[in-house]
Amino acid sequence: MSSDRAKLLSSALRRLADRPTTIMEVCGTHTVSIFRQGLRSLFPENLKLISGPGCPVCVTSQGEIDGAIELATRKNVVMATYGDMMRVPGSNGTLGELRGSGSDVRVVLSAMETLRMAEEMPHKEIVFLAVGFETTAPATAALLIEARKKNLDNLSALCLHKRVPPALRALSETDGNRVDGFLLPGHVAVILGHEPFKFIPERYGIACTIAGFEADEIMLALVDLLEQIGKNRPSLTSRYDKAVRPEGNVKAVDLMNRVFNTSTSTWRGIGPIDESGMSIKEEYSLWDGSRKFDVAVRNMPEPKGCRCGEILSGTITPKECPLFGTGCTPITPVGPCMVSSEGTCSAWYRYGRKGDLKWES
Amino acid sequence: MGKLNLGQGSGGRLTSELIGKFKAQFDDVNIQRDLEDCTMISPEWAITIDGFTVSPMDFPGGNIGKLAICGGTNDLAVRGIEPKFVTLSVIAEEGLDEEELLRYGRSAASVCHELEVKLAAGDTKVVPRGTVDGLFLTVASMGQPLGKPLGMDRIKPGDRLAVTTSIGRHGATIGSIRFDLDVTGLSSDCAPLWPLVKPLAPLPGVRAMRDCTRGGLGTTLCEWAEGTGLGIEIDESSIPIDEGVSSVCDILGFDPLHLACEGCALIAYSPDDEDRIIEILRAHPSGIQATSIGTVVERHPSMVGMRTKAGGMRVVDMPVGELLPRIC
Repeated sequence: MSSDRAKLLSSALRRLADRPTTIMEVCGTHTVSIFRQGLRSLFPENLKLISGPGCPVCVTSQGEIDGAIELATRKNVVMATYGDMMRVPGSNGTLGELRGSGSDVRVVLSAMETLRMAEEMPHKEIVFLAVGFETTAPATAALLIEARKKNLDNLSALCLHKRVPPALRALSETDGNRVDGFLLPGHVAVILGHEPFKFIPERYGIACTIAGFEADEIMLALVDLLEQIGKNRPSLTSRYDKAVRPEGNVKAVDLMNRVFNTSTSTWRGIGPIDESGMSIKEEYSLWDGSRKFDVAVRNMPEPKGCRCGEILSGTITPKECPLFGTGCTPITPVGPCMVSSEGTCSAWYRYGRKGDLKWES
Repeated sequence: MGKLNLGQGSGGRLTSELIGKFKAQFDDVNIQRDLEDCTMISPEWAITIDGFTVSPMDFPGGNIGKLAICGGTNDLAVRGIEPKFVTLSVIAEEGLDEEELLRYGRSAASVCHELEVKLAAGDTKVVPRGTVDGLFLTVASMGQPLGKPLGMDRIKPGDRLAVTTSIGRHGATIGSIRFDLDVTGLSSDCAPLWPLVKPLAPLPGVRAMRDCTRGGLGTTLCEWAEGTGLGIEIDESSIPIDEGVSSVCDILGFDPLHLACEGCALIAYSPDDEDRIIEILRAHPSGIQATSIGTVVERHPSMVGMRTKAGGMRVVDMPVGELLPRIC
């Protein structure tokens, strides 16, 4: 986006933001993108952006992380997961610390890498710690389908996947919800398409726009949202047509439907949400790590003083948390919002801890 | 205080805190107070030391042998010190192929030859399998200044900043291999800096130089801002970043400002000398992408701000912890 276009879109936002308006960027990648591209300096004061529950690491509950960590300490287990999970604190340490103490924990870029690991290490139990939303769940489904086809009995997935639309429903129904519009997650919409989000404006009267991650895509989506809010005509629009088809990715959805059932899942700080989880179907139970290793996911209390839950539901900003930057830093994280590269607190710490800057030259 | 973690070796905020704590043990005997890349031990001689471990040991653009001599002597070069001698410590893992070790030695010697640097002492040890990751090389380098040694204490408000080449190539190259990404044309910038910066060393308008190794350009800028108490403003659109580096960053969720360079220097200089300095740099094959990227300012002391391509403004801070690929 050129500077001229940035000025044009910035002035459009200023013109449209004629009242205090709160938009939730649901997706952690949006949060980081907004900070990283310096877009906050282009927003009018009336427009407040808050971060939502769209960082997959952040919403993974303490009990789920503890279960994963306990499993990773078992003899003969090689645990593979996406990089962001390495530093998330459980009740007693992180997966990264386990690696330092000798457990075999590995970072993978794709679920399929674990298939090769299982073939190369037949005497080890490879467990894929499957986290993420509808963006990463199809890859886990494809992995399990492939493992079943190959009859690989030393590979399994500890499935912690979560579904975004039920979380948005829960947020919309929350008493005192102060969100005027949702900047919807582009990556999730690539998989699901438009339909699963339509209930938000229709049932709850909240404006919605699917957004990409480039600066002008985000700014244009915000213009869309402010127009809907200004005219009091909440609807679902998309500013990410280059990647999102209205029907979504039918093949990816089919993969998920073949392998997963919907189930109740506990979101950190928010609590249990109906239909927001994905559990592995009976016919894939041999590749279900939680059954194979009898992993217990307990309801664990949040660390004392941690307000990640309120941050994930947009109730407070990181700077309103007394632990932010003092008791909780990326070096000594208390909650996962400070750990994940897409976490709200981490983004605020990296880009906003020292304050905001104005370009004066 | 807990157990050490990889984040403390990644070159960002955690590394600088660990170094600070370790250095404190030497308070009574430490003569290096200025946090520069090398230390003057007399008016004629400067010294520095650096350890090298990289996986894989062979990578597009170099190998651990070339890297060790380049990295060791670059710490001298960026203070305007001509490298003269190196010493080399080899700690090799049992099982390493002997011919492979000799090949790394030949690469290291080739850089010494190019720089007319002599090997003054060495040490070789083989240790049991599993106690090192293949090969560790440690290089101590000594050299003599061409003029007054450069350093961040000379930086003034209004000074301009330039990088000598595109950033992040070493980190992106190593990252692409570790995560099995096939990126056409991507190779490390691993190179000796002295031939490139030697003509700049005697110029009075040149204030300070740093090679942007672990932690990348972003960390080096923060070290200067925090070390001088001045502000720094850079312009994202002027920072040279190769397409392959951008691709790796897009895929893994890294910031190119925080990826390691092994042949790229950041230079602070008087604005009056800008044209001459850029012209000198671009005349050398390692400096054809040299370009000015920003200015030292008095406002927002100790902070680095970046005007983004999108026209916004944001803070650049040191990375914290190990760089890990994101989930989605």
